[in-house]
Amino acid sequence: MNSAQVAASILCLFFSVAFVKAAEVKVLAQINLVKSDRQASWFEADTGILAYSENGFNVQQGILKLSDSISSSLSYDMVANYYQLGEQHLGFSQAQLIYKPLSASKIRWRGRAGFFYPNMSLENVDVGWLSPYTYTQSAINSWIGEELRVAGLELTAYSPGRSRNSPFSWEFHAAAFKANDPLGAIITWRGFALHDRQSLNNERIRFAAYPTVVETDRINHPNYVEPFHEFDGRLGFYIGTHLNYFRQSSLRYYYFDNQADPNQVNQQRLYGWRTRFHSLAVQHEFNAQNRLIAQWLSGDTVMGERFVAADFESWYLMFSHSNKQHRVSIRYDNFKVIEDDVFAWDMNDSRGDALTLAWRYTINSYWQIGLEHHLNTNYAASRQSLDQELSIHQQQSLAVLQYRWGQ
Amino acid sequence: MLNSIVKNLMLKLVIFTFTFNLCVAVDASELHITLLTSDAKPMPNAVVYLLGSGQSGQQEIDRKAIMDQIDGQFSPHILVVQKDTQVRFPNSDSIKHHVYSFSQAKVFELQLYKGLDAEPLLFSKTGVVELGCNVHDWMLGYILVVDSPYFGKTNGSGEMTLNVPNGDYQLHIWHPRIVQTSESLRQNINMNGDTTLLLNLSQALLPDLNQYEVEKGDFSEYE
Repeated sequence: MNSAQVAASILCLFFSVAFVKAAEVKVLAQINLVKSDRQASWFEADTGILAYSENGFNVQQGILKLSDSISSSLSYDMVANYYQLGEQHLGFSQAQLIYKPLSASKIRWRGRAGFFYPNMSLENVDVGWLSPYTYTQSAINSWIGEELRVAGLELTAYSPGRSRNSPFSWEFHAAAFKANDPLGAIITWRGFALHDRQSLNNERIRFAAYPTVVETDRINHPNYVEPFHEFDGRLGFYIGTHLNYFRQSSLRYYYFDNQADPNQVNQQRLYGWRTRFHSLAVQHEFNAQNRLIAQWLSGDTVMGERFVAADFESWYLMFSHSNKQHRVSIRYDNFKVIEDDVFAWDMNDSRGDALTLAWRYTINSYWQIGLEHHLNTNYAASRQSLDQELSIHQQQSLAVLQYRWGQ
Repeated sequence: MLNSIVKNLMLKLVIFTFTFNLCVAVDASELHITLLTSDAKPMPNAVVYLLGSGQSGQQEIDRKAIMDQIDGQFSPHILVVQKDTQVRFPNSDSIKHHVYSFSQAKVFELQLYKGLDAEPLLFSKTGVVELGCNVHDWMLGYILVVDSPYFGKTNGSGEMTLNVPNGDYQLHIWHPRIVQTSESLRQNINMNGDTTLLLNLSQALLPDLNQYEVEKGDFSEYE
């Protein structure tokens, strides 16, 4: 059973339950006016690392989240998305069953199964895994939203500090999953990008047709990847731990390994990519108005007999200030991919850094407006094969109108 | 003539006032308590209640109470109710709560969807009911059910005043941070006129975890 079938089964279950009992419904929609960069993006099969390629109005996204309790211990939630950008416009990005029994123990457990994100990010805390801070998300979480999703089972042991008369709460997560074998292809060939486009259940992500990738006498891989395939039957896994001090400071560490067989290739000539990484995220709330969020991610990936192999690393630091209905957030991103493979002609080094400044004004419980300006400098050695400048400066401005219902 | 009527009325008023004051003085007294920690600091929010013969005087109190949920916290943090009180659990938040208790005095669970007005629950057993929320693991609240209409909580200065009928009582003190047993804190008091008590706890309190209740900004948890 592939990820799509698993997800479809879960969806059927959700909907059958939803008809029996009214679900909680949340809706979020964003439309924007963009002043884009001159360099077209990977959505247009080009090499820019920002989402938009043309000036104008867009539907940035639409999100529908359904959730409800099936019983005292069992609940579900699912997130359906609409995007104007990308190959697939309508689909779902998350669907999960959550088992959390009532317990008075100091150490408790819960589990979830379905198609979901590991909770390694402290940035993507709004409905539908959006960031409430900036529209253009960090390089780390842009990549996770784009290529990573778990079709599997996560078990969690946790201990709320208040049950132990302690300021410290902790959680320990362990998960096994399938169907994320091509993870790593996008950041290796294109490099990190910065956007808010989460991939949908059966998504195909395009990128530039680098001759070294697509030509039959070279790697002979299509200029797209479908990240949620299962090729080898192997289980991937991750472990993670959360440590909270009161509700003021949070630390989250995860180790992720998709355990894919890099020598598996399907009929589309999509490969398995063995991808492993560490993620460390921290948040500190100085008070209700000011918080600092940071994340560091470091790992490696390999495809074939080291046909393509690379180390990757990224980090960001964000400060966010809210005052009444205003929220201002500023984030610095740094990212790099360093290749380490057998084909000298397939050049995959990339690197860059970026600054994102966003202001969001909540008019009422339904409406919000916001402005964002993003600028970055990025280098990609693979542009040489397309006769493009290797190092470019990019800028993008967004004006966004957001509607939210159901909170 | 008018003068004598006024004098007569004034005399009646004086007699009435004297009689009324005498009745109050005879039937009830004020108990003023100051509770201090072992390091002589005021102990706020501690429950003080009286059990004993005097309660047969019967003070009518409203047997309905509210334990709300506001900004992801139980409000109040500690609710004291007389036995056989109906407690309502409204949800003033725009998020769902799932309130539960495993305490012997009342085992229950309530799924509190936003906007839902759940039926009140009857608390008919005395004791401490510890409340949690299965959606928000940091939430903690208490309902103390007492078999007495004479109870209250100390203010920020550790002080509290009760108006009770004269008689013999057992004075009880409770707070989740107090380590001492309820027996060791119990005192017999005879109320026969206004009484002032200064009480000192002998052991240090459990850690102060009030910071869990500090107001949070938006998006402190996953939506």
